[in-house]
Amino acid sequence: MSSIISTGLSGLNAAQAGMATTQHNIANANTPGYSMQRNVQAASSALYTGSGFIGQGTNVSTVQRAYNDFIGNQLLQAQAQASQLSTYQTQITQIDNVLADPNAGLAPAMQNFFNSLQTLSNMPDSIPARQGVLSNAQSLVARFQSISQQLTDVNTSVNGQITNSVSSINSLAQQIAALNQNIVVAQGTGQPPNDLMDQRDLMISQLNQQIKASVVKQTDGSYNIFVGNGQPLVVGQKASSLVATPSSSDPTRVDVSYNANGVIVPMQQNNLQGGVLGGLVAFREQSLVPAQNALGRIAIGIADSANQQNQLGVDLNGALGGTVFSVGTPYLGAASNNIGNAVLSASITSASALTTSDYTLQATGGGSYTLTRLSDNTVTNLAALPQTVDGITINLASGASIAGDIYTLRPTANASQTLAVTILDPNKLAAAAPILANSALANLGSGKISNGAVQAPLNANVQAPVTITFNAIVLPATQPTYTVTGAVPAVAAPIAYTPGTSIALAYNGWTAQISGTPAAGDVFNVSANAAAVGDNRNALLLAGLQNQNMFGGTTTLQGAYDQLVGQVANTTQAMTQSSTAQTTMVTQLVQAQQSVSGVNLDEEAANLIRYQRAYQAAGKAIQVANTMFDTLLNLR
Amino acid sequence: MMRISTNMIYDSSVSTMNQQQSRLLQTQQQLATGKRLINPSIDPAAAVQAMDVTQADAINTQYAANRISAQNTLTQMDITLQGATSLLQTTRESLIQASNTGTDTERQGLATALESQLQQLVSLANTKDGTGAYLFSGFQSKTQPFAGTVAGYAYFGDAGQKSVQISSGQQVPTSISGADIFMRVPSGNGTFVTQAAATNTGGGVATQGSAVNSALLTGNSYSLSFTVAAGVTTYSVTNTTTATPVAGMTGLPYTGGQAISFDGMQFAVSGAPVNGDSFTVQPSSNVSLFQTIADTAALLRAPVTPGNPAQTAALNAGVAAALKTLDTAMQKISVANAGVGSTLQGIDVAQVTGDNLGLNYKQTLSQLQDTNFAQAATDLAQQQLALQAAQKSFAQVSGLSLFTYL
Repeated sequence: MSSIISTGLSGLNAAQAGMATTQHNIANANTPGYSMQRNVQAASSALYTGSGFIGQGTNVSTVQRAYNDFIGNQLLQAQAQASQLSTYQTQITQIDNVLADPNAGLAPAMQNFFNSLQTLSNMPDSIPARQGVLSNAQSLVARFQSISQQLTDVNTSVNGQITNSVSSINSLAQQIAALNQNIVVAQGTGQPPNDLMDQRDLMISQLNQQIKASVVKQTDGSYNIFVGNGQPLVVGQKASSLVATPSSSDPTRVDVSYNANGVIVPMQQNNLQGGVLGGLVAFREQSLVPAQNALGRIAIGIADSANQQNQLGVDLNGALGGTVFSVGTPYLGAASNNIGNAVLSASITSASALTTSDYTLQATGGGSYTLTRLSDNTVTNLAALPQTVDGITINLASGASIAGDIYTLRPTANASQTLAVTILDPNKLAAAAPILANSALANLGSGKISNGAVQAPLNANVQAPVTITFNAIVLPATQPTYTVTGAVPAVAAPIAYTPGTSIALAYNGWTAQISGTPAAGDVFNVSANAAAVGDNRNALLLAGLQNQNMFGGTTTLQGAYDQLVGQVANTTQAMTQSSTAQTTMVTQLVQAQQSVSGVNLDEEAANLIRYQRAYQAAGKAIQVANTMFDTLLNLR
Repeated sequence: MMRISTNMIYDSSVSTMNQQQSRLLQTQQQLATGKRLINPSIDPAAAVQAMDVTQADAINTQYAANRISAQNTLTQMDITLQGATSLLQTTRESLIQASNTGTDTERQGLATALESQLQQLVSLANTKDGTGAYLFSGFQSKTQPFAGTVAGYAYFGDAGQKSVQISSGQQVPTSISGADIFMRVPSGNGTFVTQAAATNTGGGVATQGSAVNSALLTGNSYSLSFTVAAGVTTYSVTNTTTATPVAGMTGLPYTGGQAISFDGMQFAVSGAPVNGDSFTVQPSSNVSLFQTIADTAALLRAPVTPGNPAQTAALNAGVAAALKTLDTAMQKISVANAGVGSTLQGIDVAQVTGDNLGLNYKQTLSQLQDTNFAQAATDLAQQQLALQAAQKSFAQVSGLSLFTYL
């Protein structure tokens, strides 16, 4: 008889436990990371009697959480990837619009600068036109600096976000290690600590949104977690940490290192994959730095070409032209932990050969180095310095390096920031050419000489007066000749020519043509171009730089800028598309996971009723047993 | 059957509505701004092409400004050269009148007219363009090209010829060196000059002549001297450069107006030379047009004693020589003027091409970056409908719960 009551009691207990779990589910329906729990109920072992096994009621053997490891792992990977893509996309969208903006982009400023040079070529003697060129040059420089500043701001923000992400990662690692400890203890009781496991899975999911982490399960219930190139972040109950510090060879960037028991070990930054951190690092390496460098290369291209051309002309005062722009020297930083004391410097020797890549220089001992171009990992071995690679000359200023010393070379990174206009006096724009060809007033022939053009580089004797005198035919020669005096080196013998054909002259770094038929005795002079305020030959050449192929001999300034804008826009588009696709994938996996682990309130409502009814039924069974007792007790 | 968690109903509805809203916003922005390319990443290829076309259009607009600048200068040059031509025409008429006019007073009147025309010509040659630059001083655009007095004018410019970029790859000259037009006028017939010796007393006048065989020309100077013996006039030609008589040209009988030819040159002497009169034949040299007019005015101003054949002959020969120089100068000016005209025509052609290009660029740009309003409006309506449907269905689905019935 008492077994009937205890059987009923077991039913009451089981229903109560079921109700508790159901209410736990309802209460946690909105808890992130929560997995639905179910009681596992089993019949108690039956009592053997002669008439068979008589049931002894029920008991709750355990509480299980609904969790699928396979979907869970897939979701972790997908989330790491989605988080990387959306971080990249968010960052690159910032620079996408800056570059091509019709008002704030570089193209309009560049166009205005060249337009002002065209106007100068129309009115080389006009001070307002000259002032216009200087103002537009200033605006162009300001535009370069403003775009560069925006890129620098993005870089600063990326540095801050890397630091934040690293501290999130460290905090999560600590929490996971602590949870590991609690879980191992709880696991010892023989029952699974469902809510702790949910919490740990949530932490791991959050960790994967910061960085891709691989999870290795241990038999005691703890998880070991590895990041990057296999660096252990959590082992059992012990957490290690990542460190975000300014790079030792380039303080403008924050690099992530691994703290192995107090020893800071640098990490290959491109091994930091997935999550916010992976997205930030990939954005910096693949888009931000190349954009900053490409912009710098354009700045160097403009400065270098305008300077060279201006130095081939003479200004309004008749003096040879100087530079128009100045641009800073390439950044070359030594790692702070270098052992050698070599001081290296770099300078630009050929703007057209420049790339948009950064470089790493590593000492190999004996004054030799290997130079790695980071964009494609091309390695160049450099013997004794100075050496020139990709338009950059690397010099050893002092000291000596020791094998293993590392230097960072960023040839164009700071150019757009350091670009400046060096001409302040509008008269100093060299619109005129340094020489002018004149024909003597007394010339009787129909020969005409072109104005003359100067060749680069400027010849030291370019303004030395040269006279070309035409001579009559001296028998028995059949051709007339002309005599050149004043050329360096001197031209001793008269030069024969065919009358009526154009005569090409090239002396002292200039060229000119004589067309028509000069008469014997005609004289042409090429000499310094004095007071030629209306000469616009060099201004036309300055304006023509806009259409000149500059980089690698194939790309104009505008073309280089197009490339930059195109690359950023294409990457932004690709990132937006892949980010959307990846988010869809995450959504699908979340649905699959929720389908297993999520709480359905209708289900729980049904369970509430189910357990309520079970409780009522068990209670009724006890009541019946009680009545049976009464029946027994009333027997007299 | 897939099990659905209650949260999923909320989460997936919210994320769908988010996506729809962001698409709706983009379409709305495209409609509001009229620009399809709100960000370059919407269509990177079109964005880059739009930048290129914008640049090409801006350059084309700059070339149009260059053309206007070139046109202004060249039109002024055209007007100035035409003015010089008509002025020289007047001078020419004055000279023709001078050769037919008898009295000193009348000739002095003409000389005064000539001097005033000279002043006008100098001022034409010193014309400035709209920007204050001299038209005919080469690169020395701020230096007055011609200065001096009636006694002599000098050129202070240079040989520079300014060019203007009127289209990509086309530069046209917009200046002419004044030296070529005004200072480098060949004297005589362009090959040689005949001139009566100052000591002549007879009335012989030599024509300007012409070169008849350029292969025989020597470029030497000659002297033609007359001898009158027993009423018979003969002449001999001596090469004064080599100091040798010209072969076959000694003691020839003189007939007025008959051609005299030697060493590739031919001219005639008319009138009555007297014994000892001589003429020099020298290679041409370049003279200044201003100098020629000034010298001629001085010639006209000098009194002629009636009945003095030598003075009359000198006057007539001087006027004839001035006329020849004037004609040569006018020819030079008209050649230069024709050049200016054809350059102006070239600019007109470039202008038409440039205008068409500009239209083309603007059309391309519009196709690349502007919103297709019909398309965008349809998209907007569609996206709006989809969002409304999502919102409505969410409201309905989220209201379904078993708890409602408990």
